[in-house]
Amino acid sequence: MSAAPATDANGAAQVQVKPGRHREATLYHALAGAGAGNGRTLEQLREAALRSFETTELPVWRRSGFWTTSLQSLDLDALETASGQDSVTVEPGVIPEVVTRTLPDRPHAGRIVQSAGSVVHVELDPALAERGVILCSLQEAFQDHRELAERWYSKRLTIDRNKLEAANAAFWTGGAFLHVPKGIVVEDPFEIVYAIDGPGVAQYARTLVVGGQSSEFKLHEYDLAEDFEGQALHAGAFELYLEDGARCRLAQLQDWGKGEVYDVSTRFVGVGRDAYCHWLPALLGGHLVRQHLELAVSEPGGDMAFRGLFFSEEHEHLDVFAVDLHETGPSGGDVHWRGAATGESRASFEGLIQIDPGAQQTHTYLQIHSMMLSPKARVDAIPSVLVSADDVSASHGGTVGELDEAAIFYMQTRGLDRPAAVRVIVEGFFEPLIAELADEALEEIVRAKIAGKLAAAREDIEAYATSR
Amino acid sequence: MADLEIRDLHVRIEEREILRGVDLDVSRGEVHALMGPNGSGKSTLANTLLGHPSYEITEGTIVFKGEDITEAEPHERAKAGLFLAFQYPVSIPGVSVANFLRMAINAKRTEPIQVKEFRNQLQHAIELLDVDKAFTSRHLNDGFSGGEKKRAEILQMAMLAPDVAILDETDSGLDIDALRTVAEGVQRLHDEQGLGALIITHYQRILHYVKPEFVHILMDGRIVLQGGVELVERLEREGYDQIRQEFGGQGEMAA
Repeated sequence: MSAAPATDANGAAQVQVKPGRHREATLYHALAGAGAGNGRTLEQLREAALRSFETTELPVWRRSGFWTTSLQSLDLDALETASGQDSVTVEPGVIPEVVTRTLPDRPHAGRIVQSAGSVVHVELDPALAERGVILCSLQEAFQDHRELAERWYSKRLTIDRNKLEAANAAFWTGGAFLHVPKGIVVEDPFEIVYAIDGPGVAQYARTLVVGGQSSEFKLHEYDLAEDFEGQALHAGAFELYLEDGARCRLAQLQDWGKGEVYDVSTRFVGVGRDAYCHWLPALLGGHLVRQHLELAVSEPGGDMAFRGLFFSEEHEHLDVFAVDLHETGPSGGDVHWRGAATGESRASFEGLIQIDPGAQQTHTYLQIHSMMLSPKARVDAIPSVLVSADDVSASHGGTVGELDEAAIFYMQTRGLDRPAAVRVIVEGFFEPLIAELADEALEEIVRAKIAGKLAAAREDIEAYATSR
Repeated sequence: MADLEIRDLHVRIEEREILRGVDLDVSRGEVHALMGPNGSGKSTLANTLLGHPSYEITEGTIVFKGEDITEAEPHERAKAGLFLAFQYPVSIPGVSVANFLRMAINAKRTEPIQVKEFRNQLQHAIELLDVDKAFTSRHLNDGFSGGEKKRAEILQMAMLAPDVAILDETDSGLDIDALRTVAEGVQRLHDEQGLGALIITHYQRILHYVKPEFVHILMDGRIVLQGGVELVERLEREGYDQIRQEFGGQGEMAA
């Protein structure tokens, strides 16, 4: 399926896009509308998704001939899908080494770790559990907190836009559920981890997070894999809903390592009345990654900061579609992404500002800055704006950069060798966003990963400099 | 033997010969002024001394503290104790002045500098150059005014304590107060640390605050006149045209 249908699974109308209304080809659409949930039970949804899975092909995303994200090379049948649909117990298992190696040693409010198809570790600060905070596998949530889980599950996510989305909705196991009730303020972050330990795994990851009225919390998601030979799949579906006045800082650190990991995920964040979300995905690696990221202000007074950074290397393929959706006004938005590419990697970032009819007094801005560090690397940045209200301001900007030789020489005259100077420039390029993580431990991980990628691409970067 | 010895230096950029045989000696503790009209090759000399890749040395040598550095990488020259204060310092977004200084200092050392030692040095340099403490947490040269950029250059010079510093038109674009601060900073580094300085300038202004012992006039890629501070006064009286008629008449302007 190359484009979203004009109506979603429930027949709810989406924003009509008139021909000629937008300059850039906005091929992908916001999910915009009610999700698949809407009164259906989990079982009904799984069944509907299974039908969709059986009748759809692996997705291909095309953009006017020069960009294609295709999963043709993924041998889905060869991957093992966990069949733990009926088992809801957490099997205390081995936490993959990549998780213990990567996660910072720091205070956290709770942590849930899923390896392949099973949740292997759950912990929650008992004091928070006492105050009604729930952190458990999503399967467990459907058993122990069914009403709550069903009220929110797939409220805005769809299940049938493509085969992998359907597969996720049909086959997901384990999963993560976090509920921070009304008025609860949590200082330390909750950590949700999805790990792939070896090849041959299809991981259908499902996360549901609800922030009750005036709650305040931080959520860090880690998507990690060992460096292995062979294919694996992470098809993820993530939804976070913030009720009136809730505030959340959401960060996601993704690095699928050197294996042939395919990541096709949809993430939706819904911001309620006077609620606020600061969302920062750091996409730092994966053989082929396609992310639909949607941050929607659904009630008046909602505000958001949608940040993101990516770094692709070697032969990686990264396709990000980020939506800054305003369904009502007044609302605020601020989208700021930065990305770099080395090797022969390809990265595409399409950022869409969509302001629905009636979302008056919305003010939003989208900026995307990219940096190409190798002669064969490519970054496409495509901002687009769809506005259906007249009392709004929406604009976008961006830059495409290369290494500034004058800056490199400048630093060399201060004693830094060339690789060190390059590192300073690239880190400086990302720094405005890294600093916004406002979390020292997480910032250090991101900085170290970027430094590692630069060190690995050293020759490549050098070749680029001399080729110009 | 001088610390910095430039011998018969010929430099080309994109097929055009800019320097046509420059000889110059600068040692620690000496203050030199290199003056010349626009296009005479002053900035070319400055950039070449630090190894800018766009400048091709076709003849001649640069020897620093007994080592031939004609082919050395820029950072090797810096580590050896050469410094260039840029005419147009570039901005380095995302890196604070303090962090950059720490990196630069550590690049010269085997063991990273202790936090306390660094802080003391920085405090000393800040007072010397009359800059606000908040200045060091700003991103290097990013959004700096012309004067702030030049102060940042001298601040780096103070922290890195080079043996010989080349100041490329550090006086250009400065108001009189900034000029005085910058010039006094250079003078104090000379007095306190024994800095050797090659002050490249088009005008005489800065030389009212830093007194050079040696003055060299560069025209059309050659040093045509050398002397003491009296040369500055002569230049003030007569201008470059008079000197050109006398010494450089045969060469066209190197643009």
